[in-house]
Amino acid sequence: MSDAGYDKQQAREAGEIARLLSYVLILFASVGLFVSAMGIPTSRFEKLGAGAFPKIVFAGIALVAVIAIIDALRKIPAGAYGRFACQTVAWAKRRHLVFVVLGALAVYLLAIPLLGFQIASFLFILALELVLMPRRPATLLIAVAVAAVFSFGLNWLFAEVFTVFLPRGVL
Amino acid sequence: MDSFLSGAAQIFTLATLIYMLFGSLAGIIAAAIPGFTVTMAIVLTLPLTFTMEPLQGIAVMLSVYVGGYTGGLISAALLGIPGTPSSVATTFDAFPMARRGEPGRALSLGVWASFFGTIISTVVLIVAAPPLAMFAVKLGPWEYFSLIVFALTIVASLVGDSVIRGLLAGFIGLAISTVGTDPIMGRPRFDFGIEMLETGLPFLVVLIGIFAISQLTSEVEDAKSVRSGNALVTGAIDFQTWKVMKEVLLRPVNLIRSSIVGVLIGALPGAGGSIANLVAYDQAKRNSKDPESFGKGNPDGVVASEAGNSATAGGGLIPLIGLGIPGSAVDAILMASLMVHGISVGPRLIMDHADLVYGMFIAMAVASLMMLFVSVVSMRMFLRVAEVPKWLIVPVVMVCCVVGSFALNNRVTDLYLLGFIGVAGYALRALGYSLAPLVLGVILGPIAETNLRRALMTDGDPSLFFTRPISLIFLIAAVVSIAWAIRGHLKQRKTSGRSTDAPAS
Repeated sequence: MSDAGYDKQQAREAGEIARLLSYVLILFASVGLFVSAMGIPTSRFEKLGAGAFPKIVFAGIALVAVIAIIDALRKIPAGAYGRFACQTVAWAKRRHLVFVVLGALAVYLLAIPLLGFQIASFLFILALELVLMPRRPATLLIAVAVAAVFSFGLNWLFAEVFTVFLPRGVL
Repeated sequence: MDSFLSGAAQIFTLATLIYMLFGSLAGIIAAAIPGFTVTMAIVLTLPLTFTMEPLQGIAVMLSVYVGGYTGGLISAALLGIPGTPSSVATTFDAFPMARRGEPGRALSLGVWASFFGTIISTVVLIVAAPPLAMFAVKLGPWEYFSLIVFALTIVASLVGDSVIRGLLAGFIGLAISTVGTDPIMGRPRFDFGIEMLETGLPFLVVLIGIFAISQLTSEVEDAKSVRSGNALVTGAIDFQTWKVMKEVLLRPVNLIRSSIVGVLIGALPGAGGSIANLVAYDQAKRNSKDPESFGKGNPDGVVASEAGNSATAGGGLIPLIGLGIPGSAVDAILMASLMVHGISVGPRLIMDHADLVYGMFIAMAVASLMMLFVSVVSMRMFLRVAEVPKWLIVPVVMVCCVVGSFALNNRVTDLYLLGFIGVAGYALRALGYSLAPLVLGVILGPIAETNLRRALMTDGDPSLFFTRPISLIFLIAAVVSIAWAIRGHLKQRKTSGRSTDAPAS
């Protein structure tokens, strides 16, 4: 790794703990959904009801999750749990752009019904480009052009050629 | 014969051929962009085919498919980055060859190998699909259920570095498929009073969210590489079209072996081009007299990897046409597009819509010719495409994903779902779950459930799953497949420690 300052072994251990947490979460969810599947009424016309297949699936998930939890607990050294929080923060810092992109996507999706597809897309593309691109004046021109083509242009293409009307917005 | 001619007549219209040409071009360009998989290219094509005739739509998507398997070669050879997961092994030899100063030869070898691979797989498809379909209509719900069980085990065992997480992902996919009304009695399930969930989670929104959004997000993980955005390859590209064609044809054993590997792997539900690419390469290396030269620009390596991944295109259609089971995520989208047109896919497809099936065969052959034509004519331009920096691709393709999800049902709520599934998909990806089993779980879940319940409605005796011979064979195959996967996994753990995750194809 070029950016030294973090320990690969510790990062891997933190990854294992994160996976362990995901297994636990999946286990709880599957048990909860299994219980709720028991409440689905059965029919007298068939042996298995509408709840049977989900019950099989959630039982399967729970079983595999338990195996996964046992396997993960075996692998993780005791000291790793204490380092988990700071490793997670370090991980999140290394991948800060991921959070920026996902955050921008969330805002964009919420803004579409308000601003309409064209304006929301233009702002979204341009904003993400500004965050991600190398800072040079020439790229700024390309960024604006691309944003315009894939917001206003795409809207025009879908409306005129495919007669699919993208959201117009309330403003 | 009538239906063959009718299929041919529908393909050989000017409009269809022009659409296919564009499809082929789009597939090649899309796959040449790193981070843009064949699957995504097809997903984005789907809304455009809604207004076309069924066969025309399928033909366009097949040309994107065939073109896409070739396009991955371009960035693999020129940049050493697999443009799609199905061209991972292509980088092993094509990139050293390009670096050695023969980029044209490397590309040309790959293009020709892809072309012959597709043609060989089409021939196998034409021979194998009809008898398989005839056989398949005799299967009852018991056999179908066991077959799906088998398909699910292959999914979990072939993808990713962890059997457990592969299984979990497959199960989560099955769980997602149970949301909404149940397929037999129409009872509401797991909608939690949310209107959006009452009809179930729309498959394509799940697919776009899981594959595209998570893939694009993972592209920006490394801030430095995103912000540099520089070009890598320079130098003249001399394509040497005919000389290289001879070179490829002078390796018939390798070409045919790799294509057969591709067809067989493509025909297995769940395994796709990314696996065929590696397996064909591995086979070529093992059978070579000079295995040392592999990885240093051996033409056999390029031929094997590209013939292998392209041959899965035809192979994947075998179970789709014969059994109504998609061989890969891409085939699932093809299946979805047929369903959009009101054509039910299953063993009866070849009887009820013979012209469509024959049309698909012809379209495959035509698509590979188009791919060849487009590649030869415009190789120079592709060099530019491989240079498109990530900072442009990520936001633009995300907007395309949003448009694709919205255009499907014209529902804004689908967009929220897309965002939610995209975040969940990225979380799963970051945690090392492979996403392909999840998507196949979503596809196979309703088929498994319907057949299981139908079987037990027909006859309440569950032992029939084990006493009907074909059903038993599938179940044994499922057990063997799991055992094989665990064995392979243990072996791999012993020899090389942990490898990184194979990206979802």
